[in-house]
Amino acid sequence: MYSAVKILNFLLPVLYGLTFLVYLYDFVKEKNRFSNSKRIFLFVTLIFHTFYLLARTIDFNHPPITNVFEIFTVLAFAISCSYFILELLTDIRGTGLFIIVFSLIFQLISSCFIQDLTEVREVLRNRMLGLHVISALLGYSGITISAVYGLLFWILYKEIKLNKFGLIFERLPSLEKLEQLSYYSVVIGFVLLTIAIVIGAVWLPQAFPNFNYFDPKLIVTGFVWLLYGLGILSKTVGGWSGKKVIVFSIAGFCLAIFSILLTNFLAKSFHSFY
Amino acid sequence: MNLLAVSINHRTAPVELRESLHLSTEEIKIFLKELKGSIFSEGFIISTCNRTEIYGFPVNPRTNFKDLQKFLIEMKPVGSITPENFQNYFSCGAVNHLFRVSAGIDSLLIGDNQILGQVKESFQISEEFDFAGFLMKRIFDSAIKVGKRAKTETVISDGAITVSYAAVQLIEKIFSNLNRKSALVIGTGETGEIAAKHLRDKGIGRLSVTNRTMEKAEKLAGTIHATTVPFQNFREYLQDYDIIISATSAPDLILTYDDVKKAMKKRGGASTILMDIAIPRDIDPSVRSIDNVFYHDIDSLKIIVDQNVRKRQSELPKVQSIIMEEMVNLFGWYNSLEVTPTIKSLRQLFEDIRMEEVEKIKNKLSPEDIEKLELVTKRIVNKLLHQPTVELKKISENGVNTQESAMKVNVIRSIFGLDHES
Repeated sequence: MYSAVKILNFLLPVLYGLTFLVYLYDFVKEKNRFSNSKRIFLFVTLIFHTFYLLARTIDFNHPPITNVFEIFTVLAFAISCSYFILELLTDIRGTGLFIIVFSLIFQLISSCFIQDLTEVREVLRNRMLGLHVISALLGYSGITISAVYGLLFWILYKEIKLNKFGLIFERLPSLEKLEQLSYYSVVIGFVLLTIAIVIGAVWLPQAFPNFNYFDPKLIVTGFVWLLYGLGILSKTVGGWSGKKVIVFSIAGFCLAIFSILLTNFLAKSFHSFY
Repeated sequence: MNLLAVSINHRTAPVELRESLHLSTEEIKIFLKELKGSIFSEGFIISTCNRTEIYGFPVNPRTNFKDLQKFLIEMKPVGSITPENFQNYFSCGAVNHLFRVSAGIDSLLIGDNQILGQVKESFQISEEFDFAGFLMKRIFDSAIKVGKRAKTETVISDGAITVSYAAVQLIEKIFSNLNRKSALVIGTGETGEIAAKHLRDKGIGRLSVTNRTMEKAEKLAGTIHATTVPFQNFREYLQDYDIIISATSAPDLILTYDDVKKAMKKRGGASTILMDIAIPRDIDPSVRSIDNVFYHDIDSLKIIVDQNVRKRQSELPKVQSIIMEEMVNLFGWYNSLEVTPTIKSLRQLFEDIRMEEVEKIKNKLSPEDIEKLELVTKRIVNKLLHQPTVELKKISENGVNTQESAMKVNVIRSIFGLDHES
């Protein structure tokens, strides 16, 4: 099993790279032989990735969430898996490369620096923590995908406004579709983040004696959650649409990532494990 | 292959002439009735607004293009027609032309989507008349294959190449589902009418038209199931529409920046498309600076059209190579048809020679010796013909290398004088 983990750790960036190249080729070249088969590349990559995550969990006797590079591989998987489901549901195939590139980057960093830890703090072996982290990561994948679609919307919006009818214009789906994709991803992301927060709120006080509701990480997460909640409300209740919603989504994402990085690396928190 | 074809098309004849030579389905049927048996053994006629073409295999080998031209002129007398208005094709040339037509690369608008359907229809009429034999059917199948391959393997038919269709393409890049959208067409001249019809064809949810002369607006609305809006106060309804196409002949702007700004406020900033396809322009171009307003005039639509035309032109070599592949397949198959008769003739020739020689000495031999001689000579003939027969059968089985097949069959027929024998 250990050798399988080693091989897959090397193989996964290659598979993501290959899948990315196939999606890129399909984006640049119309009516090519990969138009229909490219999602098979992604599917195979995800199967290997699933096996890798399971193998790591069994081999090291803890879910792969104990250090930042394990988190990165789960994040790479979550992003591509969410995209794969989205592609199957919507049959919009021209945007994959913009999403898969994130998985490629996360997996590449993870594969280069990941450590094989068998000794971890007992709390990190807890199943509730596993659920909490997985739902949080899927939630962040959702908002990442939403931001990517938001960015694509923004680019296409500018191209149409400026009468530039190049590759982006030809290959991307309609603005309305991109807005919808961005919205659906953010709603799914928001729901999963809510689940992560609820699990955290119930379980954390029991698991950590030094638990504190005013912990910087908790405050930032709450702030991000509130921000996205407001964004969703502005569309559903306030009737916002088009550029305004997209700007909100991209700004929200940038703010969320910035705050999370800041609290992770600068602030002291009981919620840090590595 | 003695396929004969004449064509009058957009390259050879002005639109008036093409119009007067256009044949309805009923006329095509009458023409086919006349052609069948007297001029052609098999054939078909294609007639569209841009071409009238007759294809067929002549009954009499001496029938030529002039006979076909004469037939067409007699059946459909048009005063101004001259031989220069015809393009004439024979054998490979005729097949190549038919393939080009099916692929849409011989059309006025390169990559025309409708022509393949029209070719199919022409052939169906011919089949109804029992005027399409196995050879014509094979040619037709290949022509349809070329058309389909050109559409699926290349982008020869992709993208809008007319301004009104480019407007629709652009609209579809902004809104995903036109069923849930509303549109207002201002001006019911030719351009406005085409744009309104395109929107209706694309399944627009709600369509309204307005025009300075309301009767015209009502007339168009009736034909495309649209509603009308009074021209005097159409600005009051702007906020109700997601798409506004303006194509009037007004000398001044009919929609100002303030009109659009006000409408956008009432719409809560929801995206709006303004297509100004009028010359001079109807809408103030500065409206493009308003958020979620997509303003496009005829120049921006022309950019799309020009790009698509260039893209289609760059696909021509790919389509031509598809045509060439299918021609090689067709003629390979066709040449293989000549193989079986050649083998038969060759064996017959050798058998005749053998029998003739045996006959000459038959009287000098006993019945047992004759029997032996028959056996020996038959064996010799069989051994001599074994290799050529195997070689010819190979051509028939592979049937793809046209030139090589034709050459081998022709060499054998020529050196053994098989054509002369038959």
